[in-house]
Amino acid sequence: MTQERLLSVRDLSLVVAQRGVEVVKNVSFDIEPGEIFGIVGESGSGKSLATRAIIALLPPAIKVTGGQVTFKGRDILTMREAGLRELRGAEIGLVFQEPMTSLNPSMTIGRQLEEGLTLHTNMPAPTRRERILTMLQRVGIRDPQGALSAYPHEFSGGMRQRIMLASVMLLKPALLIADEPTTALDAVIQRDVMELMVELTKAEGTAVLLISHDLPMVARYTSRIVVMEKGSLVEQGTTEQILEKPQHPYTRKLLSSLPIRGEVRAIDTVSAPMISARNIVVDYPGRKSLFNKATAKRALHGVSVDIHAGEVVALVGGSGSGKTTLGRTIAGLVSQSSGEVLFQGRERSANWRDYRLNCQMVFQDPYSSLDPRMTILSLVEEALRLVPDIDRAARKRRACETLEEVGLGAEYALRYPHELSGGQRQRVAIARAIARRPKFLIADEPVSALDVTVRAQVLTLFSDLQKRYGFSCLFISHDLGVVEQVADRVIVMQDGRIIEQGDRNTIFDKPKQAYTRRLLSAIPALDLNKTGGVKLKWRLEA
Amino acid sequence: MKNYTFNGLIGGVLITLLLAVAIVGLFWTPYDPMKLSFTARLSAPSAQHWLGTDEFGRDVLSRIIVGARASVWIGALTVSLAAIAGTIIGLVSGYARGWVDAVIMAVNNALLAFPGILLALGLLAVFGANQYGIIFALGIAYTPSMARVVRGAVLSLREREFIEASKIMGNSEIFTMLRHILPNCLAPITVLSTSMFGWAILSESALSFLGLGVPPPAPTWGNMLAAGRPFIEQAVWLGLFPGLCIALTLLGINLLGDALRDKLDPRMRGLK
Repeated sequence: MTQERLLSVRDLSLVVAQRGVEVVKNVSFDIEPGEIFGIVGESGSGKSLATRAIIALLPPAIKVTGGQVTFKGRDILTMREAGLRELRGAEIGLVFQEPMTSLNPSMTIGRQLEEGLTLHTNMPAPTRRERILTMLQRVGIRDPQGALSAYPHEFSGGMRQRIMLASVMLLKPALLIADEPTTALDAVIQRDVMELMVELTKAEGTAVLLISHDLPMVARYTSRIVVMEKGSLVEQGTTEQILEKPQHPYTRKLLSSLPIRGEVRAIDTVSAPMISARNIVVDYPGRKSLFNKATAKRALHGVSVDIHAGEVVALVGGSGSGKTTLGRTIAGLVSQSSGEVLFQGRERSANWRDYRLNCQMVFQDPYSSLDPRMTILSLVEEALRLVPDIDRAARKRRACETLEEVGLGAEYALRYPHELSGGQRQRVAIARAIARRPKFLIADEPVSALDVTVRAQVLTLFSDLQKRYGFSCLFISHDLGVVEQVADRVIVMQDGRIIEQGDRNTIFDKPKQAYTRRLLSAIPALDLNKTGGVKLKWRLEA
Repeated sequence: MKNYTFNGLIGGVLITLLLAVAIVGLFWTPYDPMKLSFTARLSAPSAQHWLGTDEFGRDVLSRIIVGARASVWIGALTVSLAAIAGTIIGLVSGYARGWVDAVIMAVNNALLAFPGILLALGLLAVFGANQYGIIFALGIAYTPSMARVVRGAVLSLREREFIEASKIMGNSEIFTMLRHILPNCLAPITVLSTSMFGWAILSESALSFLGLGVPPPAPTWGNMLAAGRPFIEQAVWLGLFPGLCIALTLLGINLLGDALRDKLDPRMRGLK
């Protein structure tokens, strides 16, 4: 039995060499040939480092302090570099998270794909070419011949990830390590790429080690899972076991952090809307050059949105759908080519100052939305600078109160953003936005950059605050799970147009448009059971 | 981290020493730096003349002490001028973009295309060859590089979300520029300023060498270095000591500059 094992990791421990911090502690697991095996964990859980150790590609600062990694009966940790090089690529393939950076931008696709074949096989050139073309066709590249001489930037993120997959699968490795392979992609494309990966590896009998923070996604494709937390392996078992009867508290916490549909709330949609955007058209000017006239790219084709007092409206769609542009136009960061935005029934430019005071925004990336040179307190205080009738002392008091409300006590007031975690930073960003008590808030992917459990906490905070202050909100997200939890109404966008809108339950239960269905098919419907586990149901499988 | 503070300490000591020497030079020097003595021409370092004497028998140590003041003064003012003017131009150009940026950068690039020393020479012809002429000429000659660096920093900063957040809060453009963009540009400005200080002292010596610097007999490190050149074979100390002073000053400024940059950046403060 032990002989058949493809990969066996025993008591693997890794430390940061300089500081002696143990980042992976006594991790053991086995992978059988041909199976799909998942490692789930949040950032800092050591899941990526543990898998880097398998191919001996650890960053120089990390040292192995104990344990064994055996691949096909060979001990990897004691292997020499030359032996490892033969293994990597040929026997163990690797697909990274970021398709934008994992392909060399200055090499054609053809040459990049050929590299592995020339290195690990002695196929003659025509055979190589044939193999590459077949593979490109299999991963769904429309014009394989043309793709050979194209450069990576000519492809979209999803296509690049397909090409990456093709380059790895060309060598028919026995094990494919996929580190967050679809995290950077849109929901719909995510699903396509995953399906493709499963199909290809099944055909070649390749085992897959799938690493992700996204438990439902992993659950869908794997047969066995290990869950990691802070460098330790907290639970392992078959996927079914773990989902239905999670034993470890952390696994339960992960599962209970999955977004669940919120209750239906009564919204007054009869009186005049708080914000009303009418027939918004936005053109992005094209690049002007000496001889070419600039051709504008139309990002929004006459979009209208009404948001009522106290209502949370979610804007969903893939990248390039125009959802962010619409949000930024309403925020006043982008100016529309035509159309108008009414605030409480009046054109917003009639009283721009009032609109500014009442319309605030929370950005996606908490790392770049806070000025790194300001303390938390002064960041929030700055939001109150232009509020009339509030003196310096009152400003400080209000800022402290607001920070308290978002769960950051006085001890955080004088810290700088870099000293906080991602979740805490996003709390600061929320505090800054609500400090003025705005009537309307635009949240552009506010939780996409956060870990699963942190995301759940921030969403709860958001809902609490929304209940307390009753602000209206335009919630922009590509993550339908999150939307299902917070939104009262959902607007689906594609290619700069609204293709479907309605209250949340209607959209999620009876979507009309094919595109909405495809979006929905990427996220599971959850049923909580009594043992703290969940049952994942995939929507609209057909 | 320990390394950094150690470097900063060395830098601090060197610069304090320099300032002390410059101040002492106002009141006291071992000998009169201008006094000629034909009996003691080109005498090697000895108990009477610690750093030797020059071709006119003037005491090198006294001249270095007095020259420190001129060199520091020229370096500091030149750098301040270039830093202030360059920062303002860079901020405006990077933040406004569009045709303002195009015009400013066109002029800037044209100035950058001239070798700095040539530009300074031309400007000196206008301002006249004296200490303040040099400061203005070098200051203007260095402004384009500062403007360019600041503009680059601004361009990348203005795309960050906290700048948009500032707009959403309703802050004016000027406020955003001063409160959010300028402080985040400080690191490149400090780094460039410290190296400019070095260039300024060296350029002053080059200009003196061409006869357009601070006119003799007033000593600066630069013109001492230049004056020592013909005697390098008989009297190496003439060039050696002013050169050493310039090198140590540059070292001090650079170490101190790096330490200051880290000190000013809250992100570095956290890494203890």
